[in-house]
Amino acid sequence: MPGRVPGNPGIWVGIFCVLVEFLLLFNVYFIARAHNPEAFRHGPEKLATVAGTAITLLLVTSGYGMVKAVEAMRRDDKRVTLRWILFSMALGFGYPVVKFFEIRWNVSRGVDGAAGIFYTVYYYLTLNHLVHVFWGLLGLGWTAVRTGLGAYSAADHHGLEAAAVYWHTTDIIWLMIFPFFYVLR
Amino acid sequence: MIGRAEKIWLLLAGLTLLGAWLAETAEHGWLLAVTVAGVIVLKGRLVAVGYMEIGAARALIRRAVWGFVLAVPFLALLDYRFGDVVAQYTRAALH
Repeated sequence: MPGRVPGNPGIWVGIFCVLVEFLLLFNVYFIARAHNPEAFRHGPEKLATVAGTAITLLLVTSGYGMVKAVEAMRRDDKRVTLRWILFSMALGFGYPVVKFFEIRWNVSRGVDGAAGIFYTVYYYLTLNHLVHVFWGLLGLGWTAVRTGLGAYSAADHHGLEAAAVYWHTTDIIWLMIFPFFYVLR
Repeated sequence: MIGRAEKIWLLLAGLTLLGAWLAETAEHGWLLAVTVAGVIVLKGRLVAVGYMEIGAARALIRRAVWGFVLAVPFLALLDYRFGDVVAQYTRAALH
C-alpha cells in the first residue's frame, strides 16, 4: 500500500515539529562540542553507562510492544492489543524511574547542571526528551482506554497507529542521545 | 517462532549492548565516531522501516524521517572531524 500515512496526518505534523526541534537541539550539542572538545571527550566518563543502556533497552522493547499491539489490532484481537499497549506503557514508565535514580546518582557525585557545559547540554537534551516521552505515554494511555472501550477495529485503528508512530519517534531520538552522551568521546 | 518484529528487536538490543561495550572500552578517535554514526543510522533505519513502516508511507514522511536519521549522524561526523572550523564560524555568534 505505497503512499499511505501511518497513523493520521495530524500526528505527522507533531512528529515533524519534534524532528525539527531535536535537530536544533542536536545542533546546540554540536556547537557546544566544537567549542569545548575536551569537556565532551571526558564528559561520558562521569555518566552511568548502565542507566543509558537500561533506558535504551526499555524504549526499544516498549516500541516492540507497540508493533505487536498494532499487529494484534489488525487481526481484530482487542484483548491482546490491550495487553501489548499496557506492556509498552509499563516499560515506558520504567524510563522516568531509571532517570530518577540516574540523576540522584549523578548529583551525589557532583554531576549536576552546573558541573560543566557537557552536563548542562546533557540535562537539557535528556530532560527535554523525557517530556516528549511523557506525552507519548499519555497517548498510549489514551489508546489503552479507547481499545478497552472497543473504539478501534481491524478496519479503523488510525489513532492506535498514530500513538505507535509517535512512540517510535521518541525511540529514534533516544537512539541518538544515548551514543552522543554515553558513548562518543 | 521468531517473526520480523522479534528479529528487529534482537538487532536493536544487540546494537545497544555493543554501544554499552564501546562506552566502557573504546578510546577517543575517528574509528569510534564512524562506528557510532553507523550504529545510529542502522538502528534508526530498523525502527523507521521495521516498526514505523515508513517504507510504505508517503514520500514526504519517508524523506523527513529518513533525512533526520541520516542528517544527525552525518552532522555529528562533520562536527567530530571539523569541530575547530565549526567553532571558528560560530564564535562570532556566541560572543
